[in-house]
Amino acid sequence: MQMLRAMLKKEFILILRDKQALAALFIMPAIFILIMSMALKDTFNSERSFVQYTVIDQDLSSISKQIVSALKKNRTLQLYKDTITDNQQLQNALNNDLHFALTIPKGYAAKFSHEESDILHLDVASDVKQDMLALFKGELAGIITRIHVQLLVKELEPMLPGLTEKADIAMQNATNSMEIHFNGLKPDQHPNSTQQSVPSWIVFAMFFIVIPMSTIFINERKQNTLLRMQAMNVSIPVLFAGKIVPYMLINQFQVWLMIAVGVFIVPLFGADALTLGNSLLGIVMVSTGLSLAAIGTAILIAVSVNSVEQATTIGGLINLLFGAIGGVMVPTFVMPQSMQNLSTISPMSWGLEGFLDIFLRNLGADAVILESLALAGFGIVLLLTAWAIFAHRTKNGL
Amino acid sequence: MIKINKLSKHYETTTALDNLSMNIGKGVIFGLLGPNGAGKTTLISILNGLCNFQSGTVEIFGLTLQNNLKEIRRRCTFIPQSLALYENLNVIENLRFFAGIQSISGTTLQRNIDYAISVNRLDGLLEQKAATLSGGQKRRLNIAIGLLNDPEILYFDEPTIGIDPESRIDILETIRSFKEDNKTVIYTSHYMEEIENICDEVAIINHGNIIRQGQIETILQESRDLSMSLESFFIHLTSKDNADA
Repeated sequence: MQMLRAMLKKEFILILRDKQALAALFIMPAIFILIMSMALKDTFNSERSFVQYTVIDQDLSSISKQIVSALKKNRTLQLYKDTITDNQQLQNALNNDLHFALTIPKGYAAKFSHEESDILHLDVASDVKQDMLALFKGELAGIITRIHVQLLVKELEPMLPGLTEKADIAMQNATNSMEIHFNGLKPDQHPNSTQQSVPSWIVFAMFFIVIPMSTIFINERKQNTLLRMQAMNVSIPVLFAGKIVPYMLINQFQVWLMIAVGVFIVPLFGADALTLGNSLLGIVMVSTGLSLAAIGTAILIAVSVNSVEQATTIGGLINLLFGAIGGVMVPTFVMPQSMQNLSTISPMSWGLEGFLDIFLRNLGADAVILESLALAGFGIVLLLTAWAIFAHRTKNGL
Repeated sequence: MIKINKLSKHYETTTALDNLSMNIGKGVIFGLLGPNGAGKTTLISILNGLCNFQSGTVEIFGLTLQNNLKEIRRRCTFIPQSLALYENLNVIENLRFFAGIQSISGTTLQRNIDYAISVNRLDGLLEQKAATLSGGQKRRLNIAIGLLNDPEILYFDEPTIGIDPESRIDILETIRSFKEDNKTVIYTSHYMEEIENICDEVAIINHGNIIRQGQIETILQESRDLSMSLESFFIHLTSKDNADA
């Protein structure tokens, strides 16, 4: 016990005196959380207009004005700031931040209810994604359909008194006919960028221990302090325990610090505060599993490579790959199916899914048992492999 | 004190030790000489249980090495050639850490730390970070760490490499003082004058085997008979052995 206590004390002193490691473990992810929560804040905000459009109304009829007026009422659409007067200006705007330019041709209203009516012309910026185009087309089709219905009702009103009023009520009801409820959230809650970014960067930060941990370990190996410890009867399990315990505590500190940043600091910058969900036990389970996975990765790298430079390069690459594949940098839901399938090989994705289950979907500890066990199992397998490699290398003086 | 009988150690393509036998008595300073790759470090590693071997027997304190490794290690110390200490810990933190991992506690802890500090004259440096010590001071701290368990046998692997002459003399004085405490010292070095100055007995190793062993005076007499310095005699013996091989 005294042996382990000495190992823990030493490891804590070394890490606390390594300012770069502290910055990488605590400050870097906290800044990432702030930046990403701010940057993605509007993506999750239903009140914000992010589709820029303009209407070139060549018809200037009552119908074209109804279309313009209806588009303006949609809060997810924003009328482009400049008036487009010529084709060159249109091209420039589409190359910048204009997404859609709707041209209502002259004579459109005149043929509106005819069988061979004029068609509207839509210019679309080349970077517009299919889902955004579908949203705009759907909105436009709805507006045109409503105008058609209103015209038809107006024609039939003399024959069917009260029809206009009934049609208005029906259209009003259609608009308000659904109550939106996000899965796992309370009726008045909606997903926000903080709920998405905090889990991602917690997972990434936890794996960042790979670099300082493997650096310290390799320096110990290179300077023969590990050899000296072995000659002082320190066994490999005690040696590994002396690494595992302090870094698990450091990981836990990271988790709660990042959560505190999400809860208390992020709102100061205008983004939504993190809400914790209902399962503290679940958070501890996932973070403990992630810790073992990260520590196993760090120790395996440390015993397998020959220099600090190799460890930092390989450790950094593995972190980036795990992060990129695992949905830390790009959420898995925007990935194609093949990439989503691939993401399941990354332990970061297991941890991220676990945290999202708790933070975003409000699930309990039982929902994250599988992820936690998979992460812990992954870490233990790596630790056992590292043990075998280290024992082989020390016995053979490598 | 140390009995080695027909010890052999083979790596994948080379033989490090080849049926090597030797006895080392209590309270002697024993010099291990040999060119690079002769097998000195392998021998010291085996004696500290840091490296396995294929055949032969090793007895230390009358105990077989394989079956009593923990007990033997508890009574020995290994002071490696590299500075096996923590640069980011200060002197006293280094000493307390290495004492802690050997489960040394209570009055023994303070007594042994005081002994290690005084023998190596580290008194005024306790709060100083190891990284800021001079090369000689780091070597002394490296030795001090090795004294924390009050060892009966001390293995030194090139302890004076890369330091200034004054610090070297200091360290040699320290090693000589262990003899007064009846401790056994196994000492490897490339510096012949060091071996000549502090060792009672010497073994010259080449290709994993002993090519000469005896009292330092006998070896020196042999070299004088051939009108050679110890260094020239060492080169003469190893060259002859290389030619025979």
